[in-house]
Amino acid sequence: MATLTNDQIKVLEQSRQRLAQLTRSLGSLIASLNQSDPLPPWSSLQSQASIISNNLISVSEQLSDHRDLLSTLVAYPGPEYPGRTQANTLEQLLRTKLDPRVEDWVERGRIAGTEHQPTDTFAIAPSLAASAAQKKLTEADLAKLWEWAPIEANEEARRRNWGGNFTLEEREAGIQNVVTGLRKQLEDDEEDEDEDDEDEEEEGEDEMEIVGVHRKSGGNGVEFDIAPHHAHPVQPVVPLSDILRYMTTGRMA
Amino acid sequence: MHELLLFASVPIHQHAELLQQLAGLTAMQPRHCYERRLIFKAYRKPGVANARVGASQDLQSGDLQRVNKMLNGGMFYTQVVGPIQSTDFADPSVTATANANPDPNPNASPLDPDTDTKMDGMDSDSNIPRSAYDFDQQSWQLEFRDIPEAGTRSAVTSRVMATAALPRGDIVPSMNAWGYSFVTEYLVEGDMFIHNDIVINLHRVLHYPTIPGEETQPRHQIPALQQMAPLEKSGSYVLQASMTVHDGSNQETMKTASQHLFGLREQLKSAVRLEMADRLSLDTRVK
Repeated sequence: MATLTNDQIKVLEQSRQRLAQLTRSLGSLIASLNQSDPLPPWSSLQSQASIISNNLISVSEQLSDHRDLLSTLVAYPGPEYPGRTQANTLEQLLRTKLDPRVEDWVERGRIAGTEHQPTDTFAIAPSLAASAAQKKLTEADLAKLWEWAPIEANEEARRRNWGGNFTLEEREAGIQNVVTGLRKQLEDDEEDEDEDDEDEEEEGEDEMEIVGVHRKSGGNGVEFDIAPHHAHPVQPVVPLSDILRYMTTGRMA
Repeated sequence: MHELLLFASVPIHQHAELLQQLAGLTAMQPRHCYERRLIFKAYRKPGVANARVGASQDLQSGDLQRVNKMLNGGMFYTQVVGPIQSTDFADPSVTATANANPDPNPNASPLDPDTDTKMDGMDSDSNIPRSAYDFDQQSWQLEFRDIPEAGTRSAVTSRVMATAALPRGDIVPSMNAWGYSFVTEYLVEGDMFIHNDIVINLHRVLHYPTIPGEETQPRHQIPALQQMAPLEKSGSYVLQASMTVHDGSNQETMKTASQHLFGLREQLKSAVRLEMADRLSLDTRVK
């Protein structure tokens, strides 16, 4: 059994430092999530996450670069190791199998890794593996969902009598309780409807906005004609030039 | 200074929609404003010396030339603009005869309105309501606009403009002294937006209710807003996009400014058609 060369010790030391960095940034994220109330702004969470991800990348690079060395290394206590006082650490160091908890993480990571990318370099990193464990829909499932959704949504929509700003449920529960998130006061137009029902229905049809759509002359994209179609068009009688003439001289002609 | 303009006529049914579209485009809430606009017309005072020298113009000194130009150059309509508040309008529920408040106008005797106020074109006989509007504190601004430049190749209206602050209160004597006579007045009601360097006005002209004998003076009272009638009977609005260029001789800035206006025209294309105005409709020369 050969003793380690200086280079090999350096590799081990580098791995230790990178792992320490990773634990530190994970710890700071956990601390900021636990301590700050309300939650920290998303931008700070985002930057912390990107730091962690960078750390993970460097750890994983380090581990895979020196895979040969690290997989052949065997730990054993030297005679001068303080076995009595540091028994716990010693046990951790001498383990041949992973902690059951860690074993689970690794397992989850492996599964997620094989599903998404065959090269499961991140499988070693427990936190990433955990996030990837949330199952994604397969293509077939997605297609099925798309097939099902429009029909179902349409049927759901048909069941309701459209018009007005509030649903029947909301109205029954009292419209003052509805949280619209709007600053504008929405009118409850149900009462008008009761009074002149036929009128309302006709108007309702009129008020549908007819929007003309045509291809942009320049090329891609479409344009909407918002102005020309309107329920009650009232064209100005006085031409613009006469108005401007009046505004400048006080006379129409 | 130069002013670049584009105009569009906005039918009344489109007004509310356009307000919202403009609010979205400019990311600001419309600023509602009312402006009194008095129109003055230049007249040639009798007895003004004609300083024209018969000989070649080259012989005139620079100063004399300038004076000559001012005296004999074209005469123009100018506008005197005074912003007012919505609170300046009379309360329609209170009429003049029933109004117990002392008249804010010191020229008119509050105790005896029937004899004295007609001098100032007051309307005490009719049932025009009054407000706390104080004519003597009304601020004014003189707005001179030249006739738009002819034959510009770009499709915007461009004209020379100048504005100057005027003393508060009754400006007719001052204007008369400068050779301007009062023609008429109207009120402009509308909303204003600022979009980058463009001022967007969506406004319309309102007429005062006509009372015989009132037309010769700017009115000292503002009637209720409800009594004002739009010039355009259907109530349509005028959309005006304007941009001010300090140095009109700089072709580069003028070009940039019209490019910006064209950009706005493009953005609003699907809602309104902004166009340059008929040059003669903005003719401010006195003929």
